[in-house]
Amino acid sequence: MEPLLLTVAGWFDAAGIGPWARGSGIVYPVANSLHLLGLVMLVGGIGVVDLRVAGLWRSIPVAPLSHALTPVAIIGLALMLASGAILFAADGRTLAASPVFHRKLVLIALALANAAAFRWLWRDAIGGWDGRVPVAARAMALASIALWLAAGTMGRWIAYS
Amino acid sequence: MRSLTLFAAAAVAIALPAAAHHGWSSYDESKPLTIAGSFTQLSWGNPHGTAKMQWQGKVWDVILAPTGRMEARGLTQADVAPGKKIGLTGYARRDGTAEMRIERIRVNGKTVELR
Repeated sequence: MEPLLLTVAGWFDAAGIGPWARGSGIVYPVANSLHLLGLVMLVGGIGVVDLRVAGLWRSIPVAPLSHALTPVAIIGLALMLASGAILFAADGRTLAASPVFHRKLVLIALALANAAAFRWLWRDAIGGWDGRVPVAARAMALASIALWLAAGTMGRWIAYS
Repeated sequence: MRSLTLFAAAAVAIALPAAAHHGWSSYDESKPLTIAGSFTQLSWGNPHGTAKMQWQGKVWDVILAPTGRMEARGLTQADVAPGKKIGLTGYARRDGTAEMRIERIRVNGKTVELR
């Protein structure tokens, strides 16, 4: 994974994003704060839907809850991708060599695959889930929470490894 | 439920064995190094400044603080420009890599704490 990440880091530097992110006193801390806001929106949005699908709060209908909160999570994800690219651009060489960052990327890929599979499998069924939710869907919801929290933990871990 | 267990196990397996490579605890704070010299290279940038310095026959990677913190405490990029005489107190990596994290810098008659 390291050679690929070094290539991406080189591209960010050539495009001027790396020097911009490193050179300013304010860009990095602002991107860091937005990255955290994105995580709050992502986990706070989809995590609540996941917990409902997994079996909590059965008096709340699944479909409107998902309809309200999934866009919050997607905006959070977009915010994390944009701010994450800036954070990576500032420190690309170090991150390219960080095994913790590699694990974080793998976890994000798994979480995205899980989310895409969930949508593909259950999009049409979700409206009828006010009573029973299939065990496989509940498992995927719990996996979603576990994967996003693990990815967030790895993100925090980069600085201490 | 089997798939849930599998997912959880995979997540834990990926997440857990991540430890110890270069964080705070990987520097030996029980043996502070006090050095006089000058940087040969300086990168005044975030997430933290870095520099290179010749010391004891090796080229050391020097880890500084975020630029905003250093500037707020009165240290400028010009103070530590390559070639300027500076005094450093820092900690070397425990694993023997020629890398040190700087605790404080003495330059131009002032002492600036980086932590």
